Amino acid sequence: MTGRLTAGQAVLRALVLLGPPLALLATGLVGVLPAGWLVALVLVLSVAFAAMPESPFGTAALLVVVAWWGLAFRDGLHPQAVLASAALLVAHVAALLTSYGPGELPLDRDLARLWVRRGLAVLASAPAVWAVAVALRGQPEPAGIWVAGLAAAFTATLVASLAFGVGASGGD
Amino acid sequence: MTGWRPTAALSRSLLVGGIGVALAVLAGDPVLVVLVAPFVLLGALGLVHRPTSRPRMTSRLDHGSLHEGQGTVSRLLLEDVADVEQVTRVAAAAPYVALHPRDGRVGRLLGDGPPDLEVSPRRWGRRMLGQEKVGLHSRWAGYRWGPVTLDGQEMRVLPLTAPFDSRAESPQPLGLVGAHRSRRVGSGTEFAGIRPFQPGDRLRRINWRVSLRTDALHVETARAEEDAGVLLVVDALADHGRSGGTTGTASSLDLTVRAAAAIAEHHARGGDRVALRVVGVGGEQVGYGSGRRHLRRLLGTMAALRVGDPTVDEPETLQFGATGGTVVIVLSPMLAESIGTATAAVVRRGLPVLVIDTLPPDAGRDGGPAVAAGIDPVLADLAWRMRKVEREQVLGRLAALGCPVVAWRGPGTVDAVLRRLARRAQLPQVRVR
Repeated sequence: MTGRLTAGQAVLRALVLLGPPLALLATGLVGVLPAGWLVALVLVLSVAFAAMPESPFGTAALLVVVAWWGLAFRDGLHPQAVLASAALLVAHVAALLTSYGPGELPLDRDLARLWVRRGLAVLASAPAVWAVAVALRGQPEPAGIWVAGLAAAFTATLVASLAFGVGASGGD
Repeated sequence: MTGWRPTAALSRSLLVGGIGVALAVLAGDPVLVVLVAPFVLLGALGLVHRPTSRPRMTSRLDHGSLHEGQGTVSRLLLEDVADVEQVTRVAAAAPYVALHPRDGRVGRLLGDGPPDLEVSPRRWGRRMLGQEKVGLHSRWAGYRWGPVTLDGQEMRVLPLTAPFDSRAESPQPLGLVGAHRSRRVGSGTEFAGIRPFQPGDRLRRINWRVSLRTDALHVETARAEEDAGVLLVVDALADHGRSGGTTGTASSLDLTVRAAAAIAEHHARGGDRVALRVVGVGGEQVGYGSGRRHLRRLLGTMAALRVGDPTVDEPETLQFGATGGTVVIVLSPMLAESIGTATAAVVRRGLPVLVIDTLPPDAGRDGGPAVAAGIDPVLADLAWRMRKVEREQVLGRLAALGCPVVAWRGPGTVDAVLRRLARRAQLPQVRVR
């Protein structure tokens, strides 16, 4: 980032900056506020994320928020989780849009519209998962379902990595 | 290395999604799945659209040669782009080249076509566009190709020809067929006189009114119409003042080249034979010719001239190579003694010579010569003033020899001077050889 940011890029970076702290503070709507140091940590990570959208600080900021939600509510399926998911997704998509070029690159309206549509489409999965989780909440849990789920998730990740990830960059 | 590489966004989606799901499974907390579900989807979609194509790209200018101030388009040519969704193009700035978008950065979805850059050179000469970097993104921003560096392209920028239209006669028309009234009698349309009929005269030239009055056949004579030879001498020994391109201030070489281009265009289009002699490093020369093709050759030579002292010609042996029947137009700031000496030599030969002074009025103040590090600016200013005094002496000596000197002021600059030269050319002269 060497020159002046365009207006579009500045808005995107503001969204990157605000997304993780808002998702963190969303637990306050249920009455559980994070500790001050945690808010400060997420804020610092978010500032670094906004300044360097392609750095690992973004991943760290998002994971800290996710971990906080896991710690704040043990088995608490609050609808505010969908709000937090939206805030995290907005920060992620905004960072993704900034990474299409340097900070001085004007934001392409068509590209922004495309990603707004895509963001809304993938965000629909959050309330869907929440609704399914709420519906299945009272059901008896089959033995080993979580272990099987974990194994399935790892297997899926491994297969996806082998199938699509490795060797994607065919260098010259 | 060029190739498709996973983007930071894809890595972030996969890490947040994967770790979030793992934590949810380990802790048995479904709210974490709610939080990371969109990331899992984004990561999966990025992976599914993993590109396999191997794009190739080049950039090309619509026009490689154009006049300063004109515009053209730098197009990005892409091949094998089936997997590409978005293209980003960032061009480096180059001197005297204006870009649109202003900073040379443009990005768009490939569905709308590759992004083009509008390019407009702001000064004559050979202009090299800056390098550019091109990045391609796959669908769902999962993978990126590049950025690939493309070398800048070269443009030949012809000088802007200021509107110039002289109605003055050429002082020495000496050719075959043209538009200028010649001193000799011929078959033109301009009335010259009436004389007694001689065998060989055309019957349609007989003036019956005079013939009846004098009882002897008389014919009308006309002045021949001939083309003229014009030799343009361009002083490229140094460039004084600052050049701000077509919209800013003009340096001495800007004025010289643009004035030469305007005069060349006027004469070449009028059927006169125009030649060019550049006094500079390259010593470029173009022989006599006329017409549009010859004009482009003249402008192209001016666009390629190099500034500096000539390597071959010593100052005392500098010659313009002007032949008889040629009007010599010297375009120079007259700060080099060799140019003044060579001009005076041509004047003494009896050829009509016109000096167009192209030293900008502000040269020496803000636009004075650059002062090398370690040199006292006061001393440099004193040297510059001395040089200008010497210049005034050279101009005075040329004026004393009968060589008119005019400052270039655009259209009409040379009309009055050429008329005076044409009248003077009718008088008998003693020539020094």
